Amino acid sequence: MPKTENPLLLSLYGHYVEDVLSNTSSIEEANQALRDLGKSLGQQIYLNTEIVEKTKENITTREDVAKLIEVIYKVLYDKKPTEVDMKTARGSVRVTDNDCVWCQEVNLEGMRGFGYCEVFSGILESILEFKGVEATVFQEMSRATGADICVWNVRLV
Amino acid sequence: MLFESSPPQSFSCDFGKSPYTGRNSQDSVHEVRYMSKDLERALSKLRFDDQVLGYSLMTRVGRPFVSFAFPDDLFPRVKDSIQLYKTDLRLMTIDTEKGLVVLSPVDNNWILTVLYVPELQLGLAIAKTKNVLRLLEGIELPPPPVDFEESSEENLQVLESIAIQAASVEPKEPAAAPTAATPSASPAETAPPATESLKPEDFSVTPSTVPERGSEYSTALSLDSELNSEMKKTYRNFGFDVLMLVDGNNSVEQIADSMFQPTDRVIELLKWGACRGVVSIPRAEAKTAQSSAKAGGALGRYVKVPKFEGDLGKVDGDDLVVIRMCDGKKTTEEIAQAVHMPVPKVVQIVAKYRKRGLRMIGKTV
Repeated sequence: MPKTENPLLLSLYGHYVEDVLSNTSSIEEANQALRDLGKSLGQQIYLNTEIVEKTKENITTREDVAKLIEVIYKVLYDKKPTEVDMKTARGSVRVTDNDCVWCQEVNLEGMRGFGYCEVFSGILESILEFKGVEATVFQEMSRATGADICVWNVRLV
Repeated sequence: MLFESSPPQSFSCDFGKSPYTGRNSQDSVHEVRYMSKDLERALSKLRFDDQVLGYSLMTRVGRPFVSFAFPDDLFPRVKDSIQLYKTDLRLMTIDTEKGLVVLSPVDNNWILTVLYVPELQLGLAIAKTKNVLRLLEGIELPPPPVDFEESSEENLQVLESIAIQAASVEPKEPAAAPTAATPSASPAETAPPATESLKPEDFSVTPSTVPERGSEYSTALSLDSELNSEMKKTYRNFGFDVLMLVDGNNSVEQIADSMFQPTDRVIELLKWGACRGVVSIPRAEAKTAQSSAKAGGALGRYVKVPKFEGDLGKVDGDDLVVIRMCDGKKTTEEIAQAVHMPVPKVVQIVAKYRKRGLRMIGKTV
């Protein structure tokens, strides 16, 4: 048996992903459905966790965004993201996790472009919104579909 | 005249067509013989049941006609209960010191009363009674004679001879013979059902739906109607049982529960009935409009709402307008709408008071 962290979360999310895949007709549509789930979770996470107290009231710089992402990581997963890259791409912050919680032991073949962990994009996007930061977030790659790491792109508007 | 009321329903149609031919009345005498055989068979099922202490086939006014081991001192009580409900009597149970009495109407003239051992479960007693009723359902009993010796064993033969006589006598008004309980049967039979083109999927039924009787309700229950035979063919006696429980008060769930049947089976039958005007249930379009307004399933929508229980005096002036709305009844979306602010802004303000008396509580709307 593979050793997973948080098996309850995994099986619930896995169940939801299966549902989404059976009810959508394209990869992009499925990605959006998972992001929507994240967005609807965002409000509850924001109102029920310590994210508010642990972050600055006004987020203005990329460094602030990076810090916020680290706080979210701490609250949600009790760990740090592998990397928060603010430099490579202009107007974007990229979050890298080589041990993502959502897709542990998931191996999907022939699903190129499917963001198994898109739920986190939605969560991130809505929390940023509550902090007054307009951004669109999407998953660039996922270990679930064969990549070595999970990467999210936070595009600041 | 031997009969209490009009000629028995069972002979109204068939003999109306050719009442003078000898062959026909010969056949009917055979039918009557079957009738009494079937009746005896149904009753013997009770007689040989260890959990049955006694039974009695009673008239609608509560006079015992054919009885077996039914304690005499219980009759007055049973009679009182019958009188109390009169035509409304459906299935009824009476707890007595001798045991559990289950009363159930067989048709418009007869009531079957069974005394079960006291330790028998109510549900089982009802189920046993219903089993016997199923056997009796196919049998068309003539009405009781005006005068008879109560609880006599010979009464079965009396009943048989009444039926034989009835069969050989020409019914006076063959077409207009329905009994009291189905007064609208004849007019309804001639009128074509207005809802003929409807399909089961046009209706929307949930367990909480309360079906009502439709214009064809009594037609479906009268034994000689086409609708009744169609129902019997598809649903056997199940249809009859469900319809008996449709009274505008019982919900689908209650009907299914009291019959020990799955809800979806009841729903299927009700949809079938609704297509033919037998019952009336909500149309699917109406339901869609209703549910989109509610935006939720049958259970309602589960939401989390902010509730502020702290000191309003410590709330910043700018935030007061939002925090004051956090009464545990409105969602953040509703608050945003009321104070004309974007939702993220409201969430932002609400979140600030998380440690100062604001809680998120769950509720269904």
